Amino acid sequence: MRWPSGPLEIARRQKNEGFTPEVGKTLERWHEPATLDFLTDTPTSCLVVSWAAGLPEDSQQQKTMAPLVDAARKRKLELVGWVEGSADHNAAIAAAKSAGLSAVAIRNYKGKPDPMVVPWGERASPPWDSPAPVLPITGNVWPGVQAGANLNPDAGPTALPWLDSNGWYIQLARARVRAPVWIVADPPGKGRVLRAQDYSMAVCDSEVAGGRWVVSLDDGLRAGLAEGSAPARETWQTIANTLSFFQKHRKWSSFRSVGLVGVISDFAGEDYDFSGEILNLMARRDLLYRVIWKSQAMAAPFTGLNALVYADAAPLAPVLRQKIMGFVEQGGLLVTGPKWGSEGKPVTLGFNTQFEVRAYGKGRLAVAKEALSDPWQVSVDTQFLLSHRNDLLKIYNSGSSGCTSFTASPDGKNAVLQGVSYSSGRGGGGLRTVWIRPKYRSARLWLIGADAAPVESEASEEYFGTEYYLPVTAAQPYFALEFEA
Amino acid sequence: MVNRREFIAGAGAAGLQLLQPARMRAAAPTAPVAIARCKTYGAEFLAAAEKMFDQLGGMGRLVKGKTVTIKINLTGTETTRLDHLPAGRTIWSHPRTVGAVIHLLDKAGARRIQVVEGAWVWPASLEEFMLKAGWDPDLVLNASPHVELVNTNLPYKGSKPYTRFPVPNGGHLFPAYDLSTAYAESDVLVSMNKIKEHGTAGITLSIKNCFGISPTTIYGNKVPVDEPAPVPRGGRQEIGHNGSRQPPKSSPAEKDPKSPRQAGYRIPRFITDLVAAVPVHLAILDGIETITGAELPRQGMTKFVSPGVVMAGTNCVTTDAAAMAVMGFDPMADRGTAPFETCDSTLRLAEELGVGTRDLRQVEVIGVPIKEVVFNFREHGGPRPSRPPGGRRGV
Repeated sequence: MRWPSGPLEIARRQKNEGFTPEVGKTLERWHEPATLDFLTDTPTSCLVVSWAAGLPEDSQQQKTMAPLVDAARKRKLELVGWVEGSADHNAAIAAAKSAGLSAVAIRNYKGKPDPMVVPWGERASPPWDSPAPVLPITGNVWPGVQAGANLNPDAGPTALPWLDSNGWYIQLARARVRAPVWIVADPPGKGRVLRAQDYSMAVCDSEVAGGRWVVSLDDGLRAGLAEGSAPARETWQTIANTLSFFQKHRKWSSFRSVGLVGVISDFAGEDYDFSGEILNLMARRDLLYRVIWKSQAMAAPFTGLNALVYADAAPLAPVLRQKIMGFVEQGGLLVTGPKWGSEGKPVTLGFNTQFEVRAYGKGRLAVAKEALSDPWQVSVDTQFLLSHRNDLLKIYNSGSSGCTSFTASPDGKNAVLQGVSYSSGRGGGGLRTVWIRPKYRSARLWLIGADAAPVESEASEEYFGTEYYLPVTAAQPYFALEFEA
Repeated sequence: MVNRREFIAGAGAAGLQLLQPARMRAAAPTAPVAIARCKTYGAEFLAAAEKMFDQLGGMGRLVKGKTVTIKINLTGTETTRLDHLPAGRTIWSHPRTVGAVIHLLDKAGARRIQVVEGAWVWPASLEEFMLKAGWDPDLVLNASPHVELVNTNLPYKGSKPYTRFPVPNGGHLFPAYDLSTAYAESDVLVSMNKIKEHGTAGITLSIKNCFGISPTTIYGNKVPVDEPAPVPRGGRQEIGHNGSRQPPKSSPAEKDPKSPRQAGYRIPRFITDLVAAVPVHLAILDGIETITGAELPRQGMTKFVSPGVVMAGTNCVTTDAAAMAVMGFDPMADRGTAPFETCDSTLRLAEELGVGTRDLRQVEVIGVPIKEVVFNFREHGGPRPSRPPGGRRGV
């Protein structure tokens, strides 16, 4: 949990718009050990405290932190000092060791290897090779339906509201590293009033993708908790309940996507922007995917995939290209840029697309007619080229969500489908129905704060597959269906 | 082969009516309406439809050797349901009724059958829309060897994506509409949908179903100023509902841009223009199962009901008039009276354009009498809204 407090945090915040004496007072209160009381009996296990920022207040911060550190350790809480700006890394590490912190998190740390240091980085260039037990990532979004100036949902080009989620990035990172991915994202300021449900959604957004959100509260809620106000405690309890839920289901975070589309990229530079956005927008359309890092693609099995997307500008190494052509020859679909080549015979499609489609072996090559420039269109075209005949899931009355997670254990014996309602209660709508193609022996429904419940299901009336009837509306923030094969 | 114009002229007075100026118009034409009880989709509907078609004089005279276009209704998004019920049982045409009608029209000698719908903000084929919705398109595609699915919200295949359809007598809202060329290639238009109330237009029957023939690449939100959009970008609120903008310059502009910018004024005119410009030759209404209260599920307002009735007629106004009576409404009602509390009567406006009569005294009802199948939608409905959803009130 992010624990902003003390003189360093006050100095930092004073430079920002929105700083008030009340905010300063709250940051002082959060420096006092007594404030930790609200964490009692909650699943919080680690506090990320402000430690060094290259400001004159750094040393005072570290000195005055001692009572809080002592109190936290008595509660068996780990403490990670957050180091940023132009702080002296060696000094910050030494002070942390002396103070008894568990670790210091330093942006793109390049110094002498030290088990005390947890390197962190921005999304586009995180320290992938970090040996640390966790990988904190910054530059994330606050999840939810993006609101315009009038706080009404902003619509995208297809009239769907824009939706912010970190899920795609977590999947991208998890395909690269084994360490748990920490999503660092502070609440939006500027007058946005956050409800308990918004915080719950922030937890869910990371957890369903297998990541962890570093809980970060807004000024108002922190002030309320410092004062012991009942509404603030109620909001905190909702957050704690959500965290507890996922803590109990930690094994789900080891499950992997059952997606039919593999997205191959080096996810660096412009390719990160483009292919990352393809992942984001595929998720929005509930087009389930697997991330395949180009560097790992030779070793990655394409088993279970129906399509591959390769949108990077650079040509592939011949050996990988050959592997992909083998995938197509055996019946797969490749969606790629215009420089791929000219293999195959042209095929006529029933709809307009930016791709020329060619039959090759038992499969198809969809080669862009011009340079790819619109990741949304790539995700749309991929879904139609693959056809909804191959859908693995559909959710009726899902509100404005999308971004459904459908993952399975490595042996395929267990699977979980998790849905988050990003409209945060604004969606309303009727009861949800989940349709899935795979057959499972049993299913049970999980809601946050409730025991597992059986769920009514039957073979689809209008189509093959199984429908699960959830007593859950789109206004409820989260549900999970746990399946056993 | 008889083309549409010849067919209209031959089918009765309608063709002549449409060529006359408004002030010279004679009484709007009439045509019989067949009604049958039907409680289930599948074999029972197939038998009921076959009987109704026979009662209307047989489908052979209407479709033999012709290109038939069936405008089905898949309103709203592809994943909207009333709770857990499939859309075919509540808000959409049912895939089995569509399959049955295709089978019967094929049997009657239809040369080619196009199943069409302007699938909402959908950039690909109608088949893909159906699949996304959980329909099995094979129920439709396998009902005849001559079936095609067309998403009329997209430019039609070939060199002429759209064709201009002038509205006889000048039209209420627009003088002409640019529609998918699929409609120009059609000899016979069938409108088939559910019997429902509508939040803005009061009722949605065979006439209102035709709102969906207007392509959202031209009459949809966010279309370009000059030309049609390549793919739909939104619904029809901006042009069809509230008139906040005009279609692209490539299409005819509104007759009177100062007319009320109110959905209750505009939608009834928009849709009656369309059925005057593109006549419906066969209306088929499904009241086997449906919802009351609105056209789409609305929390607390809409209820699933099973009226157990189906209807068919060769004139969309007479058929809708009989359907209104079945729903417990007076087809002669107009603005201020149920179901047109906040809108103009679609039937009256269609009648004014010479499409058909709404006066049931002039309509022959064949099969089950109306009084035996009346299912009062308001008595079976949920609470009414104090104002219609969507659309801006006032002018």
